[in-house]
Amino acid sequence: MEGILFPHGVPEGRESLSAYRSRGGYEALGKALQASPEELIKIVSDAGLRGRGGAGFPTGKKWQFTREAPEQPRYLIVNGGEDEPGSKKDRVLLENLPHLVLEGAILGAYAIGATKIYLYINAQYDAATQSINDAIAEAKNAGYLGKNILGRGFDLDIEVTAAPHNYVAGEDTAVIEVIEGKKAWPRQKPPFPVTVGLFGKPTLVNNVETLANVAPIALRGADWYGKFGTTESSGTMIFSLNDDVNRPGVYELPFGTPLRYLIEECGGGMKNGKKIKAIMPAAPSSAFLPADKIDTPLDPNSMRDAGSALGCGVVRLIPKGTCIVEEVLKISEFFTAESCGQCPACRMETSTLTMMLKKVQAGQGGQPILEQFGKILAFNKGKGFCSLIGMPGPPIESALKLFPADFAAHLTTGNCPEN
Amino acid sequence: MTELQKRIDDKGLTDVEVKSYMCFGACQEGPNIVLYPEKNWYAKVKVEDLDEITEHLAGGPHVQRLDTIDSSLKELIYQLLDTGVM
Repeated sequence: MEGILFPHGVPEGRESLSAYRSRGGYEALGKALQASPEELIKIVSDAGLRGRGGAGFPTGKKWQFTREAPEQPRYLIVNGGEDEPGSKKDRVLLENLPHLVLEGAILGAYAIGATKIYLYINAQYDAATQSINDAIAEAKNAGYLGKNILGRGFDLDIEVTAAPHNYVAGEDTAVIEVIEGKKAWPRQKPPFPVTVGLFGKPTLVNNVETLANVAPIALRGADWYGKFGTTESSGTMIFSLNDDVNRPGVYELPFGTPLRYLIEECGGGMKNGKKIKAIMPAAPSSAFLPADKIDTPLDPNSMRDAGSALGCGVVRLIPKGTCIVEEVLKISEFFTAESCGQCPACRMETSTLTMMLKKVQAGQGGQPILEQFGKILAFNKGKGFCSLIGMPGPPIESALKLFPADFAAHLTTGNCPEN
Repeated sequence: MTELQKRIDDKGLTDVEVKSYMCFGACQEGPNIVLYPEKNWYAKVKVEDLDEITEHLAGGPHVQRLDTIDSSLKELIYQLLDTGVM
């Protein structure tokens, strides 16, 4: 299947500047600089590109908001924090296709009128950081970065920042805090970064994969891009599969591809021939889907209709023989540990949910304890500065709904029904 | 906590246990003292408020000025305490 980001499959090794240029690399930049930033924003809007970091906000709209913000200077941040457990798409893009990411970022900066790009890269990604630093040097030498880019009077500075390895450090306002030299604590919104961002100036924060789509769109047009995916969700997305399948890795698929194709054709099915008990299409914060939803199309709307979400495409499979109580406890413990602690509601919610799940696991509390989960989640809905407070809800509530027997068995016997 | 315990001991209230609890989601209103099972919640407590709170524990009046926590949060936390979760 032809891809947009991986036209010839996932590249092995790093693509050099000459290899990138030989397949049309930086032609989009040359083309875009001949036209106005507004025209570039229109192409990206018409293509229907949406953010690939999980929230799915329309990219063209975000660009427009940033461009229209009156303050100067403006900044662009490439978000490669990638702390979603099991996600490896941004690392692969930065490591193997650094110029694709870089060209997209330069185009984004031109569109919003930014004077500087900050590349925010997971501090554990040594090879990716090296690769992008080399690409920056190559791009500067070739006249794609720095002063008077391609002789069109466009100046652009660039800097790489190491992203701390914790979950909320990937949240856009936490990213801004880190680049400002502070700890990774999300800010209260509004104001949104597009108006008040880095150093108080208008800032566009785009995920690595989002920006990697920009050069192909700018070069080949919105209509071409629209041929991939569905009417509502154009383009492709990179999905990450992990050790629960026979062939872990990243796979670029058009939106609307059945989930079964990803699991069976790409991933080679579940490891050791196990059967699926539940599917988590956007681990760890999405609702579980039952195994019979395996034919759900991989696009945000279909996943929402099925009762879950697509997030940033980390698909996890729960094999039969796994206790869901144990699984949601691990997820809840993750969010408890990753809550930055600045919002009292988030601290209370995440720690209480984990404590309650531990009680269920140990067979304490009886049926009344199960009724408290929904109340805690409803009470805290939307109360934190960032979205973490809403993340334990979907896995816990879907687990209670889909696998009540696992909870009941724990509460009556104190033992896991699957053991 | 030490100050509160001292006052409770001085008052001879042998059926009162003072202990720290996990987060109630109101740290911005802290220090918080929840009297349970009678369900009274005192927020932004200062050392100088402890005599009145001890009086209340001994059967005295409710300290209205410290009862400022949102009723929906109080209800949620009381339910969790009732369920034995906390």
